Amino acid sequence: MIRRLLHPWLTVRAQIALGAVFVAAALPKLADPPGFAEAIWNYQLAPAWLIHPAALALPWLELLCGLALCLGVWVRPATAWLGTLLLVFLAALSINLARNHPVDCGCFHTQASARSAEGRVADMRWAILRDLGLLALAAQILAAGAYRRKEEP
Amino acid sequence: MLDFRKAAPLKLPSDPLKALTFAAAALVCAGLANRWAGPTRKLDWTGWAPPPAAAPAAAPPLAVPQPQPLPLPPLRQKAPAPMGKVAVLPARPAAPAPQAAVPADPAAPFAAEPSQVLREISSDAALAAFRLRIPFLDARRSEDFAAGHLPGAWSVPIWEADAPARITEFEARANPEPRSPIVIYCSGGDCEDSRLLANKLVGLGYRNLLIYTGGFPDWARQGRPQEKGARP
Repeated sequence: MIRRLLHPWLTVRAQIALGAVFVAAALPKLADPPGFAEAIWNYQLAPAWLIHPAALALPWLELLCGLALCLGVWVRPATAWLGTLLLVFLAALSINLARNHPVDCGCFHTQASARSAEGRVADMRWAILRDLGLLALAAQILAAGAYRRKEEP
Repeated sequence: MLDFRKAAPLKLPSDPLKALTFAAAALVCAGLANRWAGPTRKLDWTGWAPPPAAAPAAAPPLAVPQPQPLPLPPLRQKAPAPMGKVAVLPARPAAPAPQAAVPADPAAPFAAEPSQVLREISSDAALAAFRLRIPFLDARRSEDFAAGHLPGAWSVPIWEADAPARITEFEARANPEPRSPIVIYCSGGDCEDSRLLANKLVGLGYRNLLIYTGGFPDWARQGRPQEKGARP
Protein backbone atom coordinates (compact mmCIF):
# COMPACT_ATOMS: atom_id res chain seq x y z
CA MET A 1 0.00 0.00 0.00
CA ILE A 2 2.74 2.42 1.07
CA ARG A 3 4.69 1.34 -1.98
CA ARG A 4 1.74 2.26 -4.22
CA LEU A 5 1.05 5.57 -2.52
CA LEU A 6 4.68 6.60 -2.83
CA HIS A 7 5.14 5.26 -6.35
CA PRO A 8 7.29 7.48 -8.61
CA TRP A 9 4.53 7.41 -11.23
CA LEU A 10 2.28 9.22 -8.75
CA THR A 11 5.03 11.57 -7.69
CA VAL A 12 5.57 12.83 -11.21
CA ARG A 13 1.86 13.61 -11.53
CA ALA A 14 1.75 15.24 -8.12
CA GLN A 15 4.72 17.43 -8.99
CA ILE A 16 3.19 18.63 -12.22
CA ALA A 17 -0.23 19.20 -10.68
CA LEU A 18 1.12 21.10 -7.66
CA GLY A 19 3.50 23.11 -9.81
CA ALA A 20 0.79 24.01 -12.32
CA VAL A 21 -1.63 25.14 -9.60
CA PHE A 22 0.98 27.45 -8.12
CA VAL A 23 2.00 28.86 -11.49
CA ALA A 24 -1.66 29.55 -12.25
CA ALA A 25 -2.09 31.17 -8.83
CA ALA A 26 1.01 33.32 -9.21
CA LEU A 27 0.23 34.95 -12.56
CA PRO A 28 -2.71 37.20 -11.57
CA LYS A 29 -0.87 38.29 -8.43
CA LEU A 30 2.23 39.13 -10.43
CA ALA A 31 0.08 41.28 -12.65
CA ASP A 32 -1.41 43.24 -9.76
CA PRO A 33 0.77 43.61 -6.65
CA PRO A 34 -1.32 46.46 -5.15
CA GLY A 35 -4.44 44.30 -5.30
CA PHE A 36 -2.61 41.42 -3.64
CA ALA A 37 -1.28 43.75 -0.95
CA GLU A 38 -4.84 44.77 -0.19
CA ALA A 39 -5.88 41.11 -0.02
CA ILE A 40 -3.08 40.36 2.47
CA TRP A 41 -3.99 43.43 4.50
CA ASN A 42 -7.59 42.23 4.64
CA TYR A 43 -6.50 39.08 6.44
CA GLN A 44 -5.51 41.28 9.37
CA LEU A 45 -2.63 39.04 10.32
CA ALA A 46 0.57 40.30 8.78
CA PRO A 47 2.32 43.26 10.40
CA ALA A 48 2.29 46.45 8.36
CA TRP A 49 5.98 46.29 7.42
CA LEU A 50 5.56 42.82 5.96
CA ILE A 51 2.53 43.42 3.74
CA HIS A 52 4.15 45.13 0.78
CA PRO A 53 7.30 42.97 0.57
CA ALA A 54 5.13 39.85 0.85
CA ALA A 55 2.79 41.09 -1.87
CA LEU A 56 5.76 41.70 -4.16
CA ALA A 57 7.87 38.61 -3.50
CA LEU A 58 5.38 35.88 -2.65
CA PRO A 59 3.95 35.54 -6.19
CA TRP A 60 7.46 35.21 -7.60
CA LEU A 61 8.30 32.53 -5.07
CA GLU A 62 5.15 30.67 -6.08
CA LEU A 63 5.99 31.01 -9.75
CA LEU A 64 9.63 29.91 -9.44
CA CYS A 65 8.86 26.95 -7.17
CA GLY A 66 5.89 25.97 -9.34
CA LEU A 67 8.01 26.04 -12.48
CA ALA A 68 10.77 24.06 -10.78
CA LEU A 69 8.26 21.37 -9.79
CA CYS A 70 6.78 21.18 -13.29
CA LEU A 71 10.25 20.86 -14.79
CA GLY A 72 11.47 18.46 -12.09
CA VAL A 73 14.49 20.47 -10.94
CA TRP A 74 15.32 21.11 -7.28
CA VAL A 75 12.13 19.28 -6.40
CA ARG A 76 12.70 18.91 -2.68
CA PRO A 77 13.38 22.56 -1.78
CA ALA A 78 10.63 23.75 -4.13
CA THR A 79 8.14 21.37 -2.55
CA ALA A 80 9.27 22.41 0.90
CA TRP A 81 8.62 26.05 0.05
CA LEU A 82 5.19 25.37 -1.43
CA GLY A 83 4.28 23.17 1.52
CA THR A 84 5.31 25.95 3.90
CA LEU A 85 3.25 28.46 1.94
CA LEU A 86 0.26 26.12 2.02
CA LEU A 87 0.57 25.82 5.79
CA VAL A 88 0.69 29.60 6.08
CA PHE A 89 -2.36 29.99 3.82
CA LEU A 90 -4.22 27.33 5.80
CA ALA A 91 -3.44 29.07 9.06
CA ALA A 92 -4.49 32.47 7.71
CA LEU A 93 -7.79 31.16 6.35
CA SER A 94 -8.56 29.12 9.46
CA ILE A 95 -7.83 31.97 11.85
CA ASN A 96 -10.10 34.32 9.94
CA LEU A 97 -12.79 31.68 9.66
CA ALA A 98 -12.55 31.02 13.38
CA ARG A 99 -12.87 34.69 14.26
CA ASN A 100 -15.73 35.06 11.80
CA HIS A 101 -14.02 37.58 9.60
CA PRO A 102 -14.88 36.75 5.99
CA VAL A 103 -12.07 37.66 3.60
CA ASP A 104 -11.51 37.34 -0.09
CA CYS A 105 -9.07 34.50 -0.59
CA GLY A 106 -6.70 36.37 -2.89
CA CYS A 107 -5.58 32.93 -4.04
CA PHE A 108 -6.23 33.01 -7.76
CA HIS A 109 -7.29 36.58 -8.36
CA THR A 110 -6.78 39.86 -6.62
CA GLN A 111 -10.05 41.68 -7.21
CA ALA A 112 -12.33 41.93 -4.25
CA SER A 113 -15.41 39.90 -4.97
CA ALA A 114 -18.79 41.55 -4.58
CA ARG A 115 -20.01 38.62 -2.52
CA SER A 116 -21.97 38.48 0.66
CA ALA A 117 -20.32 37.50 3.93
CA GLU A 118 -21.92 34.04 3.73
CA GLY A 119 -20.60 33.57 0.21
CA ARG A 120 -17.13 34.50 1.35
CA VAL A 121 -17.27 32.08 4.27
CA ALA A 122 -18.31 29.30 1.89
CA ASP A 123 -15.40 30.25 -0.40
CA MET A 124 -13.01 30.15 2.54
CA ARG A 125 -14.15 26.64 3.46
CA TRP A 126 -13.55 25.48 -0.09
CA ALA A 127 -10.16 27.17 -0.13
CA ILE A 128 -9.19 25.33 3.05
CA LEU A 129 -10.23 22.01 1.53
CA ARG A 130 -8.29 22.80 -1.64
CA ASP A 131 -5.20 23.74 0.32
CA LEU A 132 -5.43 20.50 2.29
CA GLY A 133 -5.56 18.57 -0.98
CA LEU A 134 -2.53 20.43 -2.30
CA LEU A 135 -0.74 19.81 0.99
CA ALA A 136 -1.37 16.09 0.48
CA LEU A 137 0.34 16.33 -2.92
CA ALA A 138 3.33 18.09 -1.36
CA ALA A 139 3.48 15.44 1.37
CA GLN A 140 3.45 12.69 -1.25
CA ILE A 141 6.36 14.27 -3.13
CA LEU A 142 8.48 14.70 -0.02
CA ALA A 143 7.61 11.30 1.47
CA ALA A 144 8.22 9.48 -1.81
CA GLY A 145 11.64 11.09 -2.09
CA ALA A 146 12.58 10.08 1.43
CA TYR A 147 11.23 6.54 0.86
CA ARG A 148 13.22 6.12 -2.35
CA ARG A 149 16.40 7.27 -0.72
CA LYS A 150 15.88 4.80 2.10
CA GLU A 151 15.13 1.87 -0.23
CA GLU A 152 17.96 2.43 -2.67
CA PRO A 153 20.76 4.37 -1.07
CA MET B 1 44.59 24.14 -20.84
CA LEU B 2 41.65 23.16 -18.69
CA ASP B 3 41.33 19.44 -18.28
CA PHE B 4 37.73 18.61 -17.53
CA ARG B 5 38.57 15.06 -16.50
CA LYS B 6 40.67 16.35 -13.63
CA ALA B 7 38.14 18.94 -12.49
CA ALA B 8 36.32 18.14 -9.27
CA PRO B 9 32.78 16.91 -9.83
CA LEU B 10 30.33 19.78 -9.82
CA LYS B 11 29.04 20.07 -6.29
CA LEU B 12 25.37 20.94 -6.17
CA PRO B 13 24.25 23.15 -3.31
CA SER B 14 22.45 21.50 -0.44
CA ASP B 15 18.70 21.69 0.03
CA PRO B 16 18.57 24.62 2.48
CA LEU B 17 20.87 26.53 0.18
CA LYS B 18 18.60 25.77 -2.76
CA ALA B 19 15.59 26.92 -0.77
CA LEU B 20 17.39 30.16 0.03
CA THR B 21 18.22 30.52 -3.65
CA PHE B 22 14.53 30.30 -4.47
CA ALA B 23 13.76 33.07 -1.98
CA ALA B 24 16.59 35.26 -3.20
CA ALA B 25 15.58 34.76 -6.83
CA ALA B 26 11.99 35.67 -5.94
CA LEU B 27 13.15 38.87 -4.26
CA VAL B 28 15.36 39.82 -7.20
CA CYS B 29 12.57 39.14 -9.71
CA ALA B 30 10.10 41.09 -7.59
CA GLY B 31 12.49 44.03 -7.37
CA LEU B 32 13.10 44.13 -11.09
CA ALA B 33 9.45 43.63 -12.00
CA ASN B 34 8.37 46.35 -9.61
CA ARG B 35 10.98 48.75 -10.92
CA TRP B 36 9.66 48.34 -14.44
CA ALA B 37 5.98 48.24 -13.50
CA GLY B 38 3.65 50.98 -14.67
CA PRO B 39 2.24 53.41 -12.10
CA THR B 40 -0.97 51.46 -11.54
CA ARG B 41 0.93 48.21 -10.94
CA LYS B 42 3.72 49.57 -8.81
CA LEU B 43 3.81 48.97 -5.07
CA ASP B 44 6.15 50.60 -2.59
CA TRP B 45 8.37 48.17 -0.70
CA THR B 46 7.50 49.85 2.54
CA GLY B 47 3.83 49.99 3.34
CA TRP B 48 2.16 52.56 5.47
CA ALA B 49 -1.27 50.97 5.79
CA PRO B 50 -2.01 50.78 9.50
CA PRO B 51 -3.04 47.45 10.97
CA PRO B 52 -6.80 47.20 10.48
CA ALA B 53 -7.51 47.03 14.20
CA ALA B 54 -6.39 50.65 14.46
CA ALA B 55 -8.24 51.68 11.33
CA PRO B 56 -10.80 54.14 12.70
CA ALA B 57 -8.47 56.97 13.51
CA ALA B 58 -8.35 58.30 16.98
CA ALA B 59 -7.95 61.93 16.09
CA PRO B 60 -4.67 63.35 17.24
CA PRO B 61 -4.95 66.88 18.60
CA LEU B 62 -4.85 69.66 16.08
CA ALA B 63 -1.25 70.46 15.45
CA VAL B 64 -1.48 72.30 12.17
CA PRO B 65 -1.31 76.06 12.04
CA GLN B 66 -4.84 77.15 11.32
CA PRO B 67 -5.34 79.65 8.56
CA GLN B 68 -8.31 81.10 10.34
CA PRO B 69 -10.37 83.13 7.87
CA LEU B 70 -12.26 80.15 6.53
CA PRO B 71 -14.12 80.50 3.30
CA LEU B 72 -16.99 78.72 5.00
CA PRO B 73 -19.90 80.78 6.25
CA PRO B 74 -20.18 81.50 9.99
CA LEU B 75 -20.33 78.27 11.89
CA ARG B 76 -23.88 77.59 12.79
CA GLN B 77 -24.43 75.98 16.15
CA LYS B 78 -25.91 72.67 15.24
CA ALA B 79 -26.80 69.84 17.55
CA PRO B 80 -24.31 67.09 16.80
CA ALA B 81 -25.99 64.47 14.69
CA PRO B 82 -26.16 61.04 16.29
CA MET B 83 -23.74 58.33 15.09
CA GLY B 84 -21.64 60.92 13.36
CA LYS B 85 -23.99 60.96 10.42
CA VAL B 86 -24.65 64.29 8.81
CA ALA B 87 -28.29 65.15 8.48
CA VAL B 88 -29.06 67.01 5.33
CA LEU B 89 -31.19 70.02 5.97
CA PRO B 90 -33.69 70.79 3.29
CA ALA B 91 -33.23 74.29 2.00
CA ARG B 92 -35.75 76.45 3.79
CA PRO B 93 -35.88 80.10 4.79
CA ALA B 94 -33.97 80.86 7.95
CA ALA B 95 -36.46 81.59 10.69
CA PRO B 96 -35.00 84.37 12.86
CA ALA B 97 -34.67 87.01 10.34
CA PRO B 98 -33.52 90.27 9.22
CA GLN B 99 -32.16 88.31 6.27
CA ALA B 100 -35.27 86.19 5.91
CA ALA B 101 -34.94 85.93 2.18
CA VAL B 102 -31.66 84.05 2.43
CA PRO B 103 -32.20 80.29 2.46
CA ALA B 104 -30.64 78.22 5.22
CA ASP B 105 -27.03 77.60 4.43
CA PRO B 106 -26.82 74.16 2.83
CA ALA B 107 -23.13 73.91 3.65
CA ALA B 108 -23.81 74.01 7.39
CA PRO B 109 -23.89 70.23 7.88
CA PHE B 110 -20.44 69.98 6.38
CA ALA B 111 -18.78 72.55 8.60
CA ALA B 112 -15.87 71.19 10.59
CA GLU B 113 -16.65 69.76 13.99
CA PRO B 114 -13.58 69.74 16.20
CA SER B 115 -14.69 66.60 18.02
CA GLN B 116 -15.03 64.56 14.84
CA VAL B 117 -12.34 64.68 12.22
CA LEU B 118 -13.86 61.64 10.54
CA ARG B 119 -17.56 61.33 9.90
CA GLU B 120 -19.67 58.96 7.86
CA ILE B 121 -22.23 60.48 5.56
CA SER B 122 -25.31 59.02 3.96
CA SER B 123 -26.20 58.83 0.32
CA ASP B 124 -28.35 61.98 0.44
CA ALA B 125 -25.65 63.91 2.24
CA ALA B 126 -23.18 62.84 -0.44
CA LEU B 127 -25.47 64.23 -3.11
CA ALA B 128 -25.81 67.49 -1.19
CA ALA B 129 -22.03 67.68 -0.85
CA PHE B 130 -21.67 67.00 -4.56
CA ARG B 131 -24.01 69.91 -5.36
CA LEU B 132 -21.99 72.14 -3.06
CA ARG B 133 -18.89 71.25 -5.10
CA ILE B 134 -17.14 69.80 -2.08
CA PRO B 135 -14.15 67.84 -3.43
CA PHE B 136 -14.56 64.07 -3.69
CA LEU B 137 -11.62 61.70 -3.44
CA ASP B 138 -11.92 58.26 -4.99
CA ALA B 139 -9.84 55.74 -3.02
CA ARG B 140 -10.44 52.81 -5.37
CA ARG B 141 -7.95 51.31 -7.81
CA SER B 142 -7.29 53.43 -10.89
CA GLU B 143 -8.82 50.69 -13.03
CA ASP B 144 -12.12 51.03 -11.19
CA PHE B 145 -11.86 54.80 -11.35
CA ALA B 146 -11.46 54.67 -15.12
CA ALA B 147 -14.51 52.43 -15.40
CA GLY B 148 -16.70 55.07 -13.75
CA HIS B 149 -16.52 57.66 -11.01
CA LEU B 150 -18.29 60.69 -9.62
CA PRO B 151 -17.90 63.65 -11.97
CA GLY B 152 -14.95 65.73 -10.90
CA ALA B 153 -13.70 63.23 -8.33
CA TRP B 154 -9.96 63.00 -7.68
CA SER B 155 -8.42 59.59 -8.11
CA VAL B 156 -6.25 58.63 -5.12
CA PRO B 157 -5.83 54.85 -5.45
CA ILE B 158 -4.64 54.19 -1.96
CA TRP B 159 -2.94 50.87 -2.71
CA GLU B 160 -0.93 52.14 -5.65
CA ALA B 161 2.53 53.56 -5.30
CA ASP B 162 1.68 57.00 -6.64
CA ALA B 163 -1.08 57.69 -4.10
CA PRO B 164 1.10 60.23 -2.21
CA ALA B 165 1.81 62.04 -5.48
CA ARG B 166 -1.92 62.10 -6.25
CA ILE B 167 -2.62 63.61 -2.84
CA THR B 168 0.00 66.27 -3.47
CA GLU B 169 -1.53 67.02 -6.84
CA PHE B 170 -4.96 67.31 -5.26
CA GLU B 171 -3.56 69.70 -2.66
CA ALA B 172 -1.82 71.78 -5.30
CA ARG B 173 -4.80 72.09 -7.60
CA ALA B 174 -7.79 72.10 -5.25
CA ASN B 175 -5.97 73.92 -2.48
CA PRO B 176 -8.08 72.57 0.39
CA GLU B 177 -8.02 74.20 3.81
CA PRO B 178 -7.36 71.90 6.78
CA ARG B 179 -10.92 72.37 7.95
CA SER B 180 -12.69 72.43 4.63
CA PRO B 181 -14.75 69.30 4.02
CA ILE B 182 -13.47 66.50 1.81
CA VAL B 183 -15.63 63.55 0.86
CA ILE B 184 -13.94 60.18 0.43
CA TYR B 185 -15.51 57.12 -1.10
CA CYS B 186 -14.58 53.67 -2.33
CA SER B 187 -16.69 50.75 -3.44
CA GLY B 188 -19.08 50.65 -0.50
CA GLY B 189 -19.93 47.54 1.45
CA ASP B 190 -17.03 46.47 3.63
CA CYS B 191 -14.52 48.41 1.57
CA GLU B 192 -11.88 49.90 3.85
CA ASP B 193 -10.00 51.99 1.31
CA SER B 194 -11.81 55.22 2.25
CA ARG B 195 -10.79 54.79 5.86
CA LEU B 196 -7.18 54.16 4.93
CA LEU B 197 -7.13 57.29 2.81
CA ALA B 198 -8.93 59.26 5.52
CA ASN B 199 -6.33 58.18 8.08
CA LYS B 200 -3.60 59.25 5.71
CA LEU B 201 -5.23 62.67 5.31
CA VAL B 202 -5.70 63.03 9.06
CA GLY B 203 -1.98 62.47 9.30
CA LEU B 204 -1.49 65.29 6.82
CA GLY B 205 -3.53 67.63 9.01
CA TYR B 206 -7.00 67.53 7.50
CA ARG B 207 -9.73 67.77 10.08
CA ASN B 208 -13.03 67.49 8.26
CA LEU B 209 -13.21 64.21 6.40
CA LEU B 210 -16.51 62.78 5.33
CA ILE B 211 -16.72 59.13 4.37
CA TYR B 212 -19.45 58.33 1.91
CA THR B 213 -20.10 54.79 3.10
CA GLY B 214 -22.36 53.78 0.22
CA GLY B 215 -19.54 54.55 -2.15
CA PHE B 216 -19.65 54.36 -5.89
CA PRO B 217 -22.08 51.40 -6.12
CA ASP B 218 -24.65 53.39 -4.17
CA TRP B 219 -24.08 56.46 -6.34
CA ALA B 220 -24.57 54.40 -9.51
CA ARG B 221 -27.64 52.67 -8.09
CA GLN B 222 -29.30 56.03 -7.51
CA GLY B 223 -28.81 56.87 -11.18
CA ARG B 224 -26.68 59.90 -10.44
CA PRO B 225 -24.27 61.37 -12.99
CA GLN B 226 -21.02 59.55 -13.65
CA GLU B 227 -17.83 60.15 -15.55
CA LYS B 228 -15.61 57.59 -17.21
CA GLY B 229 -11.94 57.54 -18.02
CA ALA B 230 -8.75 58.13 -16.09
CA ARG B 231 -8.10 61.54 -14.70
CA PRO B 232 -5.55 63.30 -16.92
